[in-house]
Amino acid sequence: MPRKPIIGWLALAAVLIGFPLVFTGAYYEQLAAFVILSAISASAWNLVGGYAGQVSVGHAVFFGAGAYMPLLFYKLWEASPLLGFPAGIAVSVVIAVVIGVPTFRLSGHYFSMATIAVAELIRILVSDWDFLGGAIGLMGPATSRGWWDLVYRSSVPYYYIFLAVLAVLLYITHRMERSRLGYYLRAIRAGERAARSLGVPVSRYKLYALMLSAGFTSLAGSLYAVKFGFVDPGSTLGILVSVQMVVMAALGGAGRLLGPLLGAIILVPLQTTTNTFFGGAGTGLAFILYGGIIMLLSRFEPGGLLELWERYQARREARMAKERALVGAGEDHAA
Amino acid sequence: MKTWLVSAAILAGLGLGSAAFAAEDVKIGVIMPLSGNSASAGKADLAAIEIAAQIVNEGHPELKGLPIGTTPGLPKLGGAKLKLIEADHQGNPTEGQNQTLRLITQEHVVAMEGSYHSNVTFTATAVAERYGIPFIVGESVAANITSRGFKWVFRTTPIAGDFGNAYMEFLGDLKKAGHPAATLAIVHENTDYGTSVGESVRDAAKAHGLDVVADIPYNANGADVSPQVLQLKEKNPDAIVFVSYTADAILYMKTMKSLGYKPKLVIADDAGFSDPAFIKAVADISQGLVNRSAWDIGPKDSTTWRINEMYKAKTGQTLDDTSARGMQAMFVLADAINRAGSTKPEAIQKALQETDLKPDQLIMGYKGVKFDQTGQNILASTYLIQLFGSDYIAVWPAKSAQHALEYPFKGWN
Amino acid sequence: MILLQVIVGGLLIGAVYALFSSGLTLIWGMMNVINFAHGEFVMLGMYAAFWAFTLAGLGPAAFAPLAAVLLFILGVFVYLALIRHVMRGPMLAQILSTFGLLLLLRYSAFWAFTANFVTLPDDLVGASINLGGILVSAPKLLAGVVAILLTAGMHLLLTRTAIGSQILAVAEDRQAAMLMGIKPDHMQALAWGLSGASAGIAGALIATFFPISPTVGESLTIIAFVTVTLGGFGSVPGAMIAGLLIGLIESLSAFYFGPIFQDVVVYGLFVVILWVRPHGLLGKA
Repeated sequence: MPRKPIIGWLALAAVLIGFPLVFTGAYYEQLAAFVILSAISASAWNLVGGYAGQVSVGHAVFFGAGAYMPLLFYKLWEASPLLGFPAGIAVSVVIAVVIGVPTFRLSGHYFSMATIAVAELIRILVSDWDFLGGAIGLMGPATSRGWWDLVYRSSVPYYYIFLAVLAVLLYITHRMERSRLGYYLRAIRAGERAARSLGVPVSRYKLYALMLSAGFTSLAGSLYAVKFGFVDPGSTLGILVSVQMVVMAALGGAGRLLGPLLGAIILVPLQTTTNTFFGGAGTGLAFILYGGIIMLLSRFEPGGLLELWERYQARREARMAKERALVGAGEDHAA
Repeated sequence: MKTWLVSAAILAGLGLGSAAFAAEDVKIGVIMPLSGNSASAGKADLAAIEIAAQIVNEGHPELKGLPIGTTPGLPKLGGAKLKLIEADHQGNPTEGQNQTLRLITQEHVVAMEGSYHSNVTFTATAVAERYGIPFIVGESVAANITSRGFKWVFRTTPIAGDFGNAYMEFLGDLKKAGHPAATLAIVHENTDYGTSVGESVRDAAKAHGLDVVADIPYNANGADVSPQVLQLKEKNPDAIVFVSYTADAILYMKTMKSLGYKPKLVIADDAGFSDPAFIKAVADISQGLVNRSAWDIGPKDSTTWRINEMYKAKTGQTLDDTSARGMQAMFVLADAINRAGSTKPEAIQKALQETDLKPDQLIMGYKGVKFDQTGQNILASTYLIQLFGSDYIAVWPAKSAQHALEYPFKGWN
Repeated sequence: MILLQVIVGGLLIGAVYALFSSGLTLIWGMMNVINFAHGEFVMLGMYAAFWAFTLAGLGPAAFAPLAAVLLFILGVFVYLALIRHVMRGPMLAQILSTFGLLLLLRYSAFWAFTANFVTLPDDLVGASINLGGILVSAPKLLAGVVAILLTAGMHLLLTRTAIGSQILAVAEDRQAAMLMGIKPDHMQALAWGLSGASAGIAGALIATFFPISPTVGESLTIIAFVTVTLGGFGSVPGAMIAGLLIGLIESLSAFYFGPIFQDVVVYGLFVVILWVRPHGLLGKA
């Protein structure tokens, strides 16, 4: 147990809030905004993929639904994209139920495979559906007509909007961890059969987690759409969108509150930086490095980087406790 | 926690500090797909653009007619050299936007060129527009790129809508020559490229009273194209237009042969059919294939022939139409920067707006380069070329033809 | 007549699907590990064939076994260096590690062989064979026949030989197998080798009619997932039947509804099957 959690939280908040003030420049601001946006989708994925242990590789469906709706509202009625946010969440939650009800009777890889199939199915349908812009996609308002369009030249306003959403999501996740839902999900992850025999309504709680996760992933998609002002099937519904969420959460530590954020903070700059340095040469070196790094991490640190950090913390505290005991303070600190 | 943030920030910070030297160089950002499914095309395109810059920097007096590049550097900027800053957008619109933003704000490029994929060009040009940096588009054909009222986007290539009309004019000429085609099939891949060109052909066919008997969108990553070929075989149209990438283009030819289907006229819409890999793989079974191109190598020792030789020396491949269009855009941009006599974006923008290049100043078969209000080149046009042996030779329109059109499609022996 | 031709075409491509899925189902069923890099194994098999032909002029009879040997070695190496360490960890780490492997292999090929498409000559296996008016592509027919032989061979190996029963014993109950003196590690390395070898053969044969590029694995992997799930994880004959079925359905739906709907039909069917028969056609509950 960290002794002064408040200080840690304040420090984290200060760093995140202060970041764009220190690192100015449009490119860094955009990168920072993208880190937070990725952290939102990965944290949303974490609710079902991490806490409940149901590895979805099709979360792009929810992200895409969230991304398309605001721009669809704009296309159809020139409405504020903001109005599309709840519509995207509603669509995502419905899709979550449609996927979840049949597949949550299954476990392990079946769920993963079903999510891949549904995501691909929807990507293909959207690519050929003119109503949604088909393969060409949809665009948002080019210039701002009012604050409700959420169109800003700079990335900084987006950064703070994203950060606020992330804070809400992490707060909810934190509360969930200590709620009945949280306990049930951990029980399910530890072993479904055991959970069931203890009277946990397994399928129902997995579905709750998926619905919550889908809603927030959709929100991330909507934020993406207003930030970039353009969506097409490949960049919002492609399998890589799903994989990206999985990789970030797993890298930082799946099923841990701050795991996905840590994963995003490392991975997004890593990808952009390797692409900046090696991409122009066209040798594929950026991807060789990226692939190699995630392979090595999963090989040597399968629980994610936070686990490594916690082990280190635990060892340090154990050592400190031992030293204190040797000094003879006599305090009763457990490591 | 904090340590991670700091190290991430350091990692991000490594991108800084590369400007400094060679202050007189004119920096131009180029984004292309250098990884992913379109990397082959993106790298070929980038190599062509690099050769354009090399020609401008070295000065090649033997390349007669070019508005720039016959003397070393940009004469009105004291012989300043072009310096290309290249980036990979991975075929991803988001990364395209990130990299464009980086090139503009970190590398301080004075102009941009890109980016092969229409959807990436769409998002990347939005960044350039916001920052007031001229963005020249050499090869993306989707209509929506120049229909947004942008002031900083200039496109030299003909667009999807032009191709359908070119094919119809061609079929009209063919009818006069005694080979009427009343029925047409359109087979197009289903990303934005295939969809927009397919649509343009469909509309043009309707306007010209042709009967479209089959309109087949398909996924270019599919493993098998036999059902499509069998559908064509059953409908047996007088002419087929294929809009395809490389692997599917090769598969269509192989499958047509293995299913013994030889249509009377096969028109290919550039892209995969212009890939050197296509020629290497299936030229022997695709004899007489008609393809779209605004690029023609021309007779020995001509400017275009020499440029092709330079390209061959660099890449080992002959220059294809898509890459040549990218190269043309770089020449247009270099000429504009030179006429601007300045690297100020506003001056370059003004020079681009005033661009008026004649056909003999171009490497491509356009009727000229002159931009309208939206930034689209109103003189852009295309040839049709036909495959003889392993060379494409211009056969249409008549005044640019180097060889008589052979009818019908010969295919294989 | 044309319908028959569509059906034959579907069965041929279906046999190809079965061919490259058989290796995936073996390790998936046996170790419950999803190999996202399976399509890259097939891609490397294609390049092995291409280079064996280009450098040494070898034909399919020589380069298919060669690809099998090379990919067997790679499979064993991947198991020893990577899979062995992640397979008992969280499922997430498995997915992540093979996804990393996918990128590493794909882009190493990209780096080594460039992004350009390459092809083997059209006449390497032969032209089409005319069977009473039905044209059958010779390279695909060869791939189909080998797929059946390979499936049968692998099935016999697993069900009729001592090695096979040892592999299955490890799959059933690792502890019990160890008590019987079987070394699970050896059996699992062998299974990865076999999986790699069959991917190698598949790649080498697909290369005779399909353009080769570093990203070719992308479209193959998803089809292989669908095939394996449909057939039942771990069921080699199941993958064969599922492959043929998918090829047939794809072909018929592409012919009648249009090619863009073939994937819709296949994925839709896949989801329905997961619903009504979650353990696949021939899988064990």
